[in-house]
Amino acid sequence: MKYIEENPDGIKSAEIVIGIPSYNEASSIFFPTEQADKGLVKYYSNRAAVIINCDNDSDDGTGEAFLGVKTQTPKIYVSTESGVRGKGNNLKNLFLKAVELDAKAIVVVDADLKSITPLWVRNLCEPVLDNYDFVAPLYIRHKYDVTVTNNIAYPLTRSLYGRRVRQPMGGDVAFSGALAKQFVETEFWTEKVGAFGIDIWMTTIALRSRSSVIQSFMGKPKLHKIRDLDSHLDMMFEDVVSTMFDLMIEYESFWREVKWSRPTAVFGFGLGDVEMPPPVEMDTHRLWENFIGGIRKDWDLYADVISRENLNKLEEVVDLPVGGFEFPAGLWAKIIYDFAISYRNHSFDRSKLVRALIPIHYGKTLSFVTETQAMNNQQVEEFIEDQCAQFEKAKSYLVEKWFA
Amino acid sequence: MAKILIVDDEEGIRMLYSMELQDEGYAVITLPDGKGLMEVIEQEQPDCIILDIKMREYNGLDLLQQIRKKYYDLPVILNSAYSSFKVDLKTVAADYYVVKSSDLTELKEKIKLALECSIPK
Repeated sequence: MKYIEENPDGIKSAEIVIGIPSYNEASSIFFPTEQADKGLVKYYSNRAAVIINCDNDSDDGTGEAFLGVKTQTPKIYVSTESGVRGKGNNLKNLFLKAVELDAKAIVVVDADLKSITPLWVRNLCEPVLDNYDFVAPLYIRHKYDVTVTNNIAYPLTRSLYGRRVRQPMGGDVAFSGALAKQFVETEFWTEKVGAFGIDIWMTTIALRSRSSVIQSFMGKPKLHKIRDLDSHLDMMFEDVVSTMFDLMIEYESFWREVKWSRPTAVFGFGLGDVEMPPPVEMDTHRLWENFIGGIRKDWDLYADVISRENLNKLEEVVDLPVGGFEFPAGLWAKIIYDFAISYRNHSFDRSKLVRALIPIHYGKTLSFVTETQAMNNQQVEEFIEDQCAQFEKAKSYLVEKWFA
Repeated sequence: MAKILIVDDEEGIRMLYSMELQDEGYAVITLPDGKGLMEVIEQEQPDCIILDIKMREYNGLDLLQQIRKKYYDLPVILNSAYSSFKVDLKTVAADYYVVKSSDLTELKEKIKLALECSIPK
């Protein structure tokens, strides 16, 4: 991939790189850039560092805004060619640049972050300097935030690759120079990875390569720019789930041998009072409508994709009243596995197939909201752990059908 | 035969667990607290550790942090009379958390899962 570069300080090497991927973030990039600089000055003033904005050739002046932030740390602006979009494509440029700079530790933080502090830089970077290869973030999140992570990405990644990484697509991560090289050399790359699939792609590559992985507690919740949640969810869902299914095909010989899962250690304690995240409101009526409406529309496709036994159970779920609605986690896991198999078999257009999973996801989310309504954060975490255990138990179903 | 290391400051617990787990076919070694834990792990190479949290002079969660620094993949099951420690994020580094009970069914089940767990190299 070719990229456009502005390197006003002529930086040729750096031990630590902080990458900030962006597209049209002129109004928000100041804050994460400033905090990244403060973190580098406070914790790593004795190490050569650089902040890189990897951009999608934004037309709102993101590059100028970034280079205009007064920092002690030198900065580089790197952009995809005109018309090339996607966070993944930005990060691919970051991987290339980090390898070229011979960086030991690369930290990635989102350009629209509102809650980043200098401590995030230390908490993400320190484990890499302490010889870990990949650092995933651990934030305190509201129970209704990140439904795709809670319902699919975490349980599926865990059951497939055997490692419990609670936020496998958290966005703010760190990795070693060696892993950056591996990212560059990994041949598997799709349009979806080039977009929102990149976060789950990085975590999966790290797990698949048996790199040493750790989670880092960030202390503050992740607060960022508010987007149109529905359209963002649909786009993100398709990129993430397609990438997970593609990687399942790519790494089938690995996950076939994985049984149950192992924990991942956590770095970053003693942060004082932990700030709680703002509440996320869920409209259960709308979730129900999206579930039922989508189910009716796609039922014929489901009849071909979902096994008879699971389809019968789904029919039972559809008949449940909104109050007291429940979508069993074991059924959800098996339906995901049925979709993955159909995706592998090319039974349908793959985009159409993944989009048809969205209404069922709404149903699972509705069930999650109903069941966890009275629970505190700790109880919800235990609930999610139980859900993950269902994915692990149902793994034999996947293996049997996938390799039949 | 899988080897289980029990770290607990209650003698009664160590005896009960030893008997029950030996009956299940495991080899069992015990420690009354965290003193010399890393050396014992090094020498005995246990397949799984059952680790109490609230011990008189040691905190099992801190011991878990030490274990994880050196032994990335060694199964550790936290075993406490208190469920309240579950809110501590340090527990995330354990394979499982089991609240103490006179019925060891859950503990035995988690030991089995931890020992069966496999991830290709």
